[in-house]
Amino acid sequence: MKRYGLAWLLLVFFLAACSNDQNTQSLSTVTEMDWSEIEESAADTTVRLFMWGGDEGINQYIDEWAAPRMEEEYDITLERVPMDTVEILQKLQTEKQAGKTDGTIDLIWLNGENFKNAKENELLAGSFVDSLPNFNEYYETEDPAFQTDFGTSVDGMEAPWGKVQFVFLYDSAKMDRPPSSFEELKSWTADHPGKFTYPNADDFTGNAFLRHILYAEADSPASIYDQPLDEENIAGTAEQTWSYLNDIEPNLWRSGEHYPNSLTELDRLYSQGDVWMTMGYNEARAESLIEEGVFPETTRSFVMDPGSIGNTHFLSIPFNSTNYPGALAAINFMLSPEAQLAKLAPNYWGENTPISIDKLPEGMKEEFESIERGESVLSQQELEESFLPESEAAYVDWMKEQWFNEVVQN
Amino acid sequence: MSRNRLLFIITSALFFLLPVLLLVLQSVSETWRFQAGQGFTFQLDSFEVLTSDPNLWSATGWSIAIGAGVLVTNLLIGILTGKALATMDFKGKSFVEAMMLSPILIPVLAIAMGLHLFMIRIGLADTLAGVILIHLVPTVPYSVKIFQNAYRQMGSDLLEQPLILGATPVHQLFTVELPLMKPAIRSVTFLTIVISLSQYAITAIIGGGTVITLPMVFFPFLDTANASIMAAFSIWFAMIPLLLYVIMEAILLLLPYTNIPWRNRT
Repeated sequence: MKRYGLAWLLLVFFLAACSNDQNTQSLSTVTEMDWSEIEESAADTTVRLFMWGGDEGINQYIDEWAAPRMEEEYDITLERVPMDTVEILQKLQTEKQAGKTDGTIDLIWLNGENFKNAKENELLAGSFVDSLPNFNEYYETEDPAFQTDFGTSVDGMEAPWGKVQFVFLYDSAKMDRPPSSFEELKSWTADHPGKFTYPNADDFTGNAFLRHILYAEADSPASIYDQPLDEENIAGTAEQTWSYLNDIEPNLWRSGEHYPNSLTELDRLYSQGDVWMTMGYNEARAESLIEEGVFPETTRSFVMDPGSIGNTHFLSIPFNSTNYPGALAAINFMLSPEAQLAKLAPNYWGENTPISIDKLPEGMKEEFESIERGESVLSQQELEESFLPESEAAYVDWMKEQWFNEVVQN
Repeated sequence: MSRNRLLFIITSALFFLLPVLLLVLQSVSETWRFQAGQGFTFQLDSFEVLTSDPNLWSATGWSIAIGAGVLVTNLLIGILTGKALATMDFKGKSFVEAMMLSPILIPVLAIAMGLHLFMIRIGLADTLAGVILIHLVPTVPYSVKIFQNAYRQMGSDLLEQPLILGATPVHQLFTVELPLMKPAIRSVTFLTIVISLSQYAITAIIGGGTVITLPMVFFPFLDTANASIMAAFSIWFAMIPLLLYVIMEAILLLLPYTNIPWRNRT
């Protein structure tokens, strides 16, 4: 036993030494280097970007637009790996537990609750955004939308990649004028029973719809998004929210006995003409679906008073990436005006950019302003005027629990 | 007799062929609003989206490799264990049988989480071998049960006869056991490949993005409202078990006493 004990001890030391060797560079030593040095050591490497893969527009933007350009300009091979964010974090969590320091993931795409989990469990490499030249040059670095993510302080651990805003979609061939407030929506559902519904509170989009009503019923939306969740403080607002939802319920699709489980289900109902409205984050989401013939060509979008919630999504580096320089160079490229411009154009992704147009050089500025995002997308001005920030992540869970008790069970 | 046959043809057409036909039509049509009176619009975009995904071919390759690996391992384990359980008597046999079934009673995801940690330590995480191993968890219990029943049905008489005639165990396996167990082999082939092919979560965790199988490309598209793409993917997906099934049938033809054209029947 004693003999083996010593052997074990040696083995443990050996393994520990091994694992230390594999990842000697910490992120902070990399970010302290000159940018040109970082790019130099990033050349001729592979960067593996793990991201949700359920939208062919987004996939093609990465595979057909971004990857060839990164290969050409930086000699970096960008590999897209389709995986759900929750599973990515699960994988990182187990690897952290097992002490695996040479991970397979170099970049992840995340925000909100996932970022909160990743940060709290120390699954991210650390602070890096200040070292990105494109971020410093073209972005409003102090923008609160980049400083906090669903109420969690970002601390430079993720770089803003895109931003989306919640819009409602309707078929202009069937409706002359969409409702402009939640009160009007209520009377519209009374006039058109069965033609409106929303995904249940467990769904990302359904939950956001419900938070819009919470914003609308509050004295002012700021009293929700500026406050951490305090159930006593918002009791009155919550009561009004539930009574609004219970009032419209009998006029919803299938008399509110069943709610779509996901946005996909609602989209299919809309696509088949069973309901006349759908919704969702990304103000330009209808464009590709119209193009594919899934949504009718007469689909248009609208926002209602008091406004529409928008959020930013980010790119970050996991703790056990083996290629920090490559990951940094890739993020810097994704944040570049060229990459953001291609992302904004409707042919691939069509999503809004977090870049500050004012900070761009003249020629680039014009290009951004001249992009036609499509007829179904509201004007930039209208979107900006109606913009409402996201509330703390705790509201999401609170809404999930309460909605079921107050609306489904009543 | 003929009435039963007619009934069979009608039910299979109604419940099997018709849905498949609808799926094929949907895959080459734009979103179909038949209740709104909108007809069928021919297009091949959904297949273009499918083939433009750079991961598609490699994912299909991975899936076939994993499916084949899982199948071979399952046949090995299933035949050996099934024979032992059916023909031998030993202490604690019922306990062993119960243990054999336990992987399908415990959620695979729970097993995978624990095994992931272990596989990282021994270096099997993010490898093909690791994924094949984890796919054995939801498949082996079925294979063992199927082969156990096959041997039980065969009975000990048929197993004693070659022994008396002086056949070696290997000779006995290829000339007596395998030819008689063809239906069981077919069931195991289909079952294991379909189960292995549809594992998303455990493949994602153990394969870790290094091993990208077809479900990892396909399942995220369940979130799309575009029914044509879904249909195209489903058809592609269904081709793999069919392909492997055909290959397995070809291999089965190599067994003795098979009705094949070039073997003389007198």
